[in-house]
Amino acid sequence: MLLLDYQNVLIESVLKERFAQDAPPASIDQTVSDFDGVTFHISTPETKTKILLSIQIRCFRDLVQHGAEQVLQREYGDYVTSTEPGYDFSVLIDVEGITGEKEERDALALKFALLKRNAMAAPFEAAYQEYYQLKEEASKFTSEEAPKGVLEGGQVKAIHYREEEAIYVKASHDRVTVIFSTIFREETDRVFGKVFIQEFVDARRRAIQNAPQVLFRNDPPLELQGVPGIKTTDGEKVGYVTFVLFPRHLTPQRMEDVISHIQTFRDYFHYHIKASKAYIHSRMRKRTADFLQVLRRARPENEEKERKTASGRTFKVQGS
Amino acid sequence: MSQSLRPYLQAVRSSLTAALTLSNFASQTAERHNVPEIEAQTSPEVVLTPLTISRNENERVLIEPSINSVRISIKIKQADEIEHILVHKFTRFLTQRAESFFILRRKPIKGYDISFLITNFHTEEMLKHKLVDFIIQFMEEVDKEISEMKLFVGGTVPLLARAEVNRLQLNARARFVAESFLTPVSRAVAACPAMS
Amino acid sequence: MANQTPAVVMDNGTGFSKLGFAGNDSPSFVFPTAIATKGGAAGSHAGSGSGRPSVANKPSFLTGGAGPGGHLSAKRGTEDLDFFIGDEALAASGGPGYGLHYPIRHGQIEDWDHMERFWSNSIFKYLRVEPEDHYFLLTEPPLNPPENRENTAEIFFESFNCAGMYIAVQAVLALAASWTSAKVTDRSLTGTVIDSGDGVTHVIPVAEGYVIGSSIKSIPIAGRDITYFVQSLLRDRGEPDSSLKTASEIKEEHCYVCPDIVKEFAKYDRDRSRFAKHVVRHPNGREVSVDVGYERFLAPEIFFNPEIYSSDFLTPLPNVVDNVIQQSPIDVRRGLYKNIVLSGGSTLYKDFGRRLQRDIKHLVDTRIKASEVRSGGARSGGLDVQVITHKRQRHGPWFGGSLLGQTPEFRSYCHTKQEYQEYGPSIVRRFALLGGPGGS
Repeated sequence: MLLLDYQNVLIESVLKERFAQDAPPASIDQTVSDFDGVTFHISTPETKTKILLSIQIRCFRDLVQHGAEQVLQREYGDYVTSTEPGYDFSVLIDVEGITGEKEERDALALKFALLKRNAMAAPFEAAYQEYYQLKEEASKFTSEEAPKGVLEGGQVKAIHYREEEAIYVKASHDRVTVIFSTIFREETDRVFGKVFIQEFVDARRRAIQNAPQVLFRNDPPLELQGVPGIKTTDGEKVGYVTFVLFPRHLTPQRMEDVISHIQTFRDYFHYHIKASKAYIHSRMRKRTADFLQVLRRARPENEEKERKTASGRTFKVQGS
Repeated sequence: MSQSLRPYLQAVRSSLTAALTLSNFASQTAERHNVPEIEAQTSPEVVLTPLTISRNENERVLIEPSINSVRISIKIKQADEIEHILVHKFTRFLTQRAESFFILRRKPIKGYDISFLITNFHTEEMLKHKLVDFIIQFMEEVDKEISEMKLFVGGTVPLLARAEVNRLQLNARARFVAESFLTPVSRAVAACPAMS
Repeated sequence: MANQTPAVVMDNGTGFSKLGFAGNDSPSFVFPTAIATKGGAAGSHAGSGSGRPSVANKPSFLTGGAGPGGHLSAKRGTEDLDFFIGDEALAASGGPGYGLHYPIRHGQIEDWDHMERFWSNSIFKYLRVEPEDHYFLLTEPPLNPPENRENTAEIFFESFNCAGMYIAVQAVLALAASWTSAKVTDRSLTGTVIDSGDGVTHVIPVAEGYVIGSSIKSIPIAGRDITYFVQSLLRDRGEPDSSLKTASEIKEEHCYVCPDIVKEFAKYDRDRSRFAKHVVRHPNGREVSVDVGYERFLAPEIFFNPEIYSSDFLTPLPNVVDNVIQQSPIDVRRGLYKNIVLSGGSTLYKDFGRRLQRDIKHLVDTRIKASEVRSGGARSGGLDVQVITHKRQRHGPWFGGSLLGQTPEFRSYCHTKQEYQEYGPSIVRRFALLGGPGGS
């Protein structure tokens, strides 16, 4: 596995199964976790044919500020229901009301499995819209005489999606900047992470000319100056990974994919650090086995020696 | 093989072979005890002068002989923090399995990355020259991996400690990972060139 | 923290892995503990070296790199990411290029490379959790060597940086799972666990949460044997479909345990309605009807009368259980008889527990009577035999783990990453007994 899925596999498979034609009704009650401390609760509280799917996101308040409710309303429309206590957002799906062929049913299941992605997408979408607006305005001016607001771009949208980490999104008239603050709790991860990040930074220069520009630094980048909650004195533990999305990445056609993809950055990054450690483990295991083999050669073979007694009888002695 | 590696290993080999003349020796301080004198350090008269063989400031071997035991400590080259971490991880992995390695010391001597302790009991039940072979091969593994890496990267590789090999692997991996992540995003251009 | 992430419960068995989150009543994922990797099938290399990434295997790399196999990803050292686990592995191994491996044999992890990757994929692809945020509850078979625990801890703490972990013995978790049964009044961790999966059946006595290793018995009769037995009966009758799949479906849908085979045969002969029909649907839409007869009660009967199936193992399950308990220390035997817990898919037959209880009771009573006669008039107070059947039997160990993993004190029983770094892997040799006395 190279890339991570955007959707929650469990929810997708459960719903697919339940959405299938003539699926026997069954009651469900499962609490499911996803990356970044997201919790889903999928249940059938009233009847077996009505599935309630609720999501709890740490940063839901941040997301609402940037229009998450509108995005979710747009995506799930009629399915939206009153929120289950303890969660942030709920949809209610009546299995009996689903019609259509298998493909349609599966597509619907996938749509609900993307709940987390859609909720997280709101600030990005907002940034896209802001960018289109700013571009529109900026096209009226030459760069020198543009008013301050246009030049500086929009507000920084902060999403505190993990306890110590956040995503910052900022739109300007010619780009959208996405900044991930990352933290490494362990030395090994930090060092591995650095190697990886360096390759992200270099990738544009070396191989993929069209890639978004990636920057990395240990102190907060300029874009984040004046944003509350940014600590400047954390030393090497905290890093800021900046993705600069250029106009070519910002077309409406590509919006959906780019947003889905960039969301998975942190988990992708950590997954690969861990996968590399697993790989190094397997190398070490092999190497250790080799060394043991060499050492074992130092032990002389246990050969059985035959000895004779004075009377001529023979007996065997185990070699030492 | 690099110019300095061969004489370096040769020097370690001969010194080690010379040092591995061990005999059974009961403790002089505690009755009915038989301990490796080099570890106990209770009778200075049976502990010989330790010697260090250095290839350069980063790679050296410390051989501490005594009447019934020899301690060999190896410092593996670590040029940067990645190598440092990898060496640390690998030696820890090995010491974790010290049980099956017989002669591996669970803790390295201060200033070194990995230590071996060979006692007279080891030399009695194992072939001495094979033990030396093991130590040398342990140090040498580096070279084998490098020739492998030359194929792997397709170019000349600086001749370094084994950790370097893993690091290059890591670099290649990191590059691949980074590119795979960025490719879907940048594919935008191909999809709709008109917009850019 | 006001909002704790649920613990991840993973029960990796020889045949199937059960993965999920604590607090749920069933595992989120149940799939084969199989991994399909690029390259040769299992057994092409000797021992644990099978199927490791080719870079680590020098000779094969030198030849492989020059050969046609040297495609792009191999050159970059990423072929260790190219693998599938679970059902996808089975699917992939059907195609070319992938070899299938089972990293767990006889309950114990044999191939750590494969297991590490299996775990990595379970966590990131299926469970989708960041291990740094979660505590993990893993299971191990009884008599697992402590080195295996250390290796597991090494992987979970060093590769995955998991926040904390606990390793529990499957049998103990199965006991904990039985607490949901109405019959269980005191939540004790003393009892006999009968764990019957696909490959082997174990009878494991547990006293106060600790396995009595010396008295464990295993029986070479389990789910797979029942399937084979059903299949052979179908073949004998010349049924139109006697594939293993059909046999296993019949086993799961129609089989039950009867109190007495002779009477049951008579009942069947009197009442034809007891013969069932099983409809097999072929993928091409064709339907075949298979008659189901005596195998409905004969198949599970091989636990109680093994001679009808096997010629080398002849001790009935009730006798094995009785022997196991008799071999255990005398002061726990009463508790072991009182709490015989079933676990695993092959104990799900209707009335399995009832029959087992009756047979064991019978053995015990006979022995007591005999000793009363020998002692010349002394009266025994009798012995309570109770077999516990409960709803969560199928994934007993997993459910027990889910039950214990959701308790608020679970985290205090775990070893954390900090502790691991301070003491090293040997820390996982010891765990405080979860759910035991003094726990809650």
